[in-house]
Amino acid sequence: MQKILRELIQEKNKTKGASQWNIAWRRFKKNKTALAGFFIIGIIIFMAAFDSLIAPYGPNTIPGFYSGETRAPPSSKYLFGTDYVGHDVFSQVVYGASSALFVGFAAALIVMLLATVVGVVAGFYGGIVDNILMRITEIFLVIPFLLILLVFLKVITALAPSGGGGLFMVTLMIGIFSWAANARIIRGEVLRVKEQEYIEAATALGATKTRIMIRHILPNVLHVIIVLTTLMIATAILVEAGISFLGFGDPNAITWGQQLQKASEAVKEAWWEGVFPGLFITLLVLGFTLLGNGLRDSLDPRLRE
Amino acid sequence: MTRYIIRRLLYLIPLFLGILIIVFAATRVAGDPVRLMTAMNPHITEEARNNLTAYYGLDKPLWHQFLIYLANLLKGDLGNSYVIRGGIEVTSLIGDYIWPTMLLQIVSIILALLIAIPVGVISARRKYSKTDVTVTTTSLLGTCIPIFYMGIIVILIFAYYLGWFPAGGYVTVISESKDYFLGSRTLDIIWHMVLPVAVLTFALLAPIVLLIRSSMLEVLKQDYVLAARANGLNDRKVVYKHALRNALIPVVTYVGIYFGAMLAGAPITETVFNWPGVGRLFVQATNRLDFPVIMGITVIITLMTLIANLITDLTYGYIDPRIRVE
Repeated sequence: MQKILRELIQEKNKTKGASQWNIAWRRFKKNKTALAGFFIIGIIIFMAAFDSLIAPYGPNTIPGFYSGETRAPPSSKYLFGTDYVGHDVFSQVVYGASSALFVGFAAALIVMLLATVVGVVAGFYGGIVDNILMRITEIFLVIPFLLILLVFLKVITALAPSGGGGLFMVTLMIGIFSWAANARIIRGEVLRVKEQEYIEAATALGATKTRIMIRHILPNVLHVIIVLTTLMIATAILVEAGISFLGFGDPNAITWGQQLQKASEAVKEAWWEGVFPGLFITLLVLGFTLLGNGLRDSLDPRLRE
Repeated sequence: MTRYIIRRLLYLIPLFLGILIIVFAATRVAGDPVRLMTAMNPHITEEARNNLTAYYGLDKPLWHQFLIYLANLLKGDLGNSYVIRGGIEVTSLIGDYIWPTMLLQIVSIILALLIAIPVGVISARRKYSKTDVTVTTTSLLGTCIPIFYMGIIVILIFAYYLGWFPAGGYVTVISESKDYFLGSRTLDIIWHMVLPVAVLTFALLAPIVLLIRSSMLEVLKQDYVLAARANGLNDRKVVYKHALRNALIPVVTYVGIYFGAMLAGAPITETVFNWPGVGRLFVQATNRLDFPVIMGITVIITLMTLIANLITDLTYGYIDPRIRVE
């Protein structure tokens, strides 16, 4: 009898060790591209965290200006050269990391909060609630989103010429106008989960709708939300770079997009001014895309062989 | 099919109205446009401001202004610019700028589809081969590089170092020392188009290739593909006749979405290549707070996106007849 019990306990411990998240983690560790993405993001987070230690010059100093080395090519003194006023491009790239990460994470947070609420509520309640929410979602899907963003940002800056809310406003605007596609995907996922038997069981046991949504539906669509969040970070970084490139970003922040904008005026004379910031945007976006794809492969049970 | 088309058309009206309301709100969120535009001008008197406000009909309540705009829109009148060429009509302004934009966008999407379909199919057929790995890696990179960065790199290499193509613009401004490329205006425009079209095509191509590849892989696993093979059909026929048609169904939806996104992204592509289209005009108008032009361009781009969506829906209904019945 005791032997059987012991075996049972061992069996239980074994299965406990292989929960859904454990399996996902094991698959993730084997995925080389996902680990590469993780590695790239790690380096850039490190860069942002210790920016003042890594950068050889301060964020607002123009070392090249006083020595007459504006638009100087890369050298041992200026690793990535200097720009039109004499900023050290390498230092500027290092300081730009935190802006890019901030925009990416904060915008993705806003987007996913909106998308999750809309997607879960629409998918779970169905009927008229679903209908109304989905019509609103469609409006936000079709709207020429970059155009609206530019108008809002310009008007806000015109209202308060001294900064106009800065990088946070840019982030908020990106968040408000990019949730629709994600809400749709989450809704589809909720519709699938809703039909499962354990939801029926919970309803039969008298669980309230809110409880079912939070305790049963949400955990079962969480893997989709995680993947979408990662990919959304990449998108938000790209969008912010585009806005800054057009000159609608926060003029007081150091961003890679703005560096590219200044550089584009003189690519012929000083290629290093734009090539390096652009390279870092691409790297960071690539990092999050690889991580997102890797997470999708390891978290989505339907892709398991 | 006719009923399906009518139903889709009716469906677009509330969508269009919703977008119009948001755009209108964007231009009015800061209050009176006249006050906004004259905020930096110390010489303007309060009376002059009031005159301007009344002249543009901005003294009426917001809903009234919106209805007037809507009524004029139905008559094909988008109002007059606040600043450009002494208050030129927005419709004729857009008329000048829309063709370069359309030219760039339509040529790029056609090229992207022509290249993406065979590349995606080949990639799927030779899964994990060297070709497949090269294609997927390049496409993945293509989705990560900002389009303006790609533009700058391409200009740097092909315009400045190699000198093969012009760095920007639509057509050569002829002078005594400069003539059109090979003496022809059409060839000159094409010569200017090469770099922007290449960048735009690559940007569109990358996600479409990945989509076709994964969709094809999914379809090739289906039973009817196996059945077709078991019946002794050759591989080419199975892939291109039976599988491709089904693999294209999800792709069609996304092509509509990508096309809309690229149109909305026109300000960026056109700014990089100094292309005289509505996108670059939009950036200039926004910087000068020229609201009628801003509204006009947004309306036109929204309409074009909606038409692209409609074509998508119809193609969808054509490829997959089940969709038509609801």
